[in-house]
Amino acid sequence: MTSFSVSVRDLAVQYGRRLVFQDVSFDIAAGQSLGVLGPNGSGKTTLLRTLAGCLTPRVGEVRIAGLTPRDALTRTGVAYFAGEATLPGSVRASGWGSLGNGDVVTPDRRPIRALSRGTRQLLGLRTVLGRHPLGLIVLDEPWEALDPDAARWLSTTLETKRDRGASLVLSSHRLHDLAGFCDSYLFLLPHQAKVVHAHEISATSPVTAAQLAEVFDKVRGGAMSLRAVS
Amino acid sequence: MAHSVSPLRFFRVVPTQPALIVWTFLVVVAIGGIAIAREPSRSTDLMRSVLLLQLFAASSGFEVPARRGHYDLLLTSGHRRIWVALVHWATSIAPGVLAWLVLAAVEATARGSTDADLLASGTCAAMGLVSTMPWAITVRLPRFSGGIGWLLVLTLSTSVLSSGTMPGSRGANEVDESIWSAWEFLVYPAVFVGRELSIGDGLIAAPALMIALASIAAACRWVSRASIPLEAAQ
Repeated sequence: MTSFSVSVRDLAVQYGRRLVFQDVSFDIAAGQSLGVLGPNGSGKTTLLRTLAGCLTPRVGEVRIAGLTPRDALTRTGVAYFAGEATLPGSVRASGWGSLGNGDVVTPDRRPIRALSRGTRQLLGLRTVLGRHPLGLIVLDEPWEALDPDAARWLSTTLETKRDRGASLVLSSHRLHDLAGFCDSYLFLLPHQAKVVHAHEISATSPVTAAQLAEVFDKVRGGAMSLRAVS
Repeated sequence: MAHSVSPLRFFRVVPTQPALIVWTFLVVVAIGGIAIAREPSRSTDLMRSVLLLQLFAASSGFEVPARRGHYDLLLTSGHRRIWVALVHWATSIAPGVLAWLVLAAVEATARGSTDADLLASGTCAAMGLVSTMPWAITVRLPRFSGGIGWLLVLTLSTSVLSSGTMPGSRGANEVDESIWSAWEFLVYPAVFVGRELSIGDGLIAAPALMIALASIAAACRWVSRASIPLEAAQ
């Protein structure tokens, strides 16, 4: 089992004068998963790109197995996928699929833009998740546009990777995508970020979407409400 | 480290060039090759077409596709960004360099010697300049920006500095000759195509070539350090 952890301290990111988020702190142990929830524009994608080493924060610190994200990329496997819209449309699907671990993900030689949205999403996911071993998996809205079979494949694959020691960071603006799947949840709101552990929400059974929605509303209502939930 | 795609393999699958550019080079090489084989003295004229195409081929742009997420798989693969930048540059200029070398080989064969105009030091200097600066200028701009900007500077130079005369037929007597010559090579490197550079020519070409190298270094440094947000996330 890979010994791996993610540690984020007092992270703040801004684009120009616009502050995207601030004071974000959390830890993820090896083999654990964090769900990032928040409305559109709350900074979920920005946070995930920071973890993947694409963005360098000016305030705060990100450590992956004790290394900066850029250094971590060279030492261990990091899978990052920001959604089907990031795939280059003119590239052949079969060519893109071969960029993962070299195996054939799909024999389809059509340009990516000719595929359906769900097929593009699945192609992107299968390509990044085909690499191994993976210490950190960072996926932005991974269940978006997937059909039930593909969604089930994704959930199973992620559980397998997590069982093998990979840390997962998954974002969604739809609560039911992440409910019951993660060990902790980061609620990312404008000017506010709160981490709630799954056992704080439901001690005995998997967290439901309704419970997440309740916590989400309380986080939006203020920190006092959150403590009441805990 | 996990299995990860190399920059060379990535840019073979995700080309830095639109297919149209590659096909245009192929057409130029096919037609130019026949023309040079029949009349080797026409090689320098054809080389100007290759340089013009290379101006736009090298202006491939890095930041725009990177911010669309097209390069995420490569940027998170663990390879050093400096290699990513250098391979991006190399694959951007490769079609033009290949076209030039093929035409030079045809010319050398047609002349029956290696003393070909397309292998002259002036041609190499011109190709070097056109293969470096446009890429560096365009690294943070949309595709073809460097080429368009270069043509704009060339047009302004010919109309403002030399009162509308074409490059090569200098008319700016008031401008210091050597500075004007260096500027002329910088904005219109084709002026040296087919010439073996003398020491004086080398001194004229040196500032432009040094600027080109410095611009490549600056562009690679930017790629190495850049934060690359997603276009849609801003």
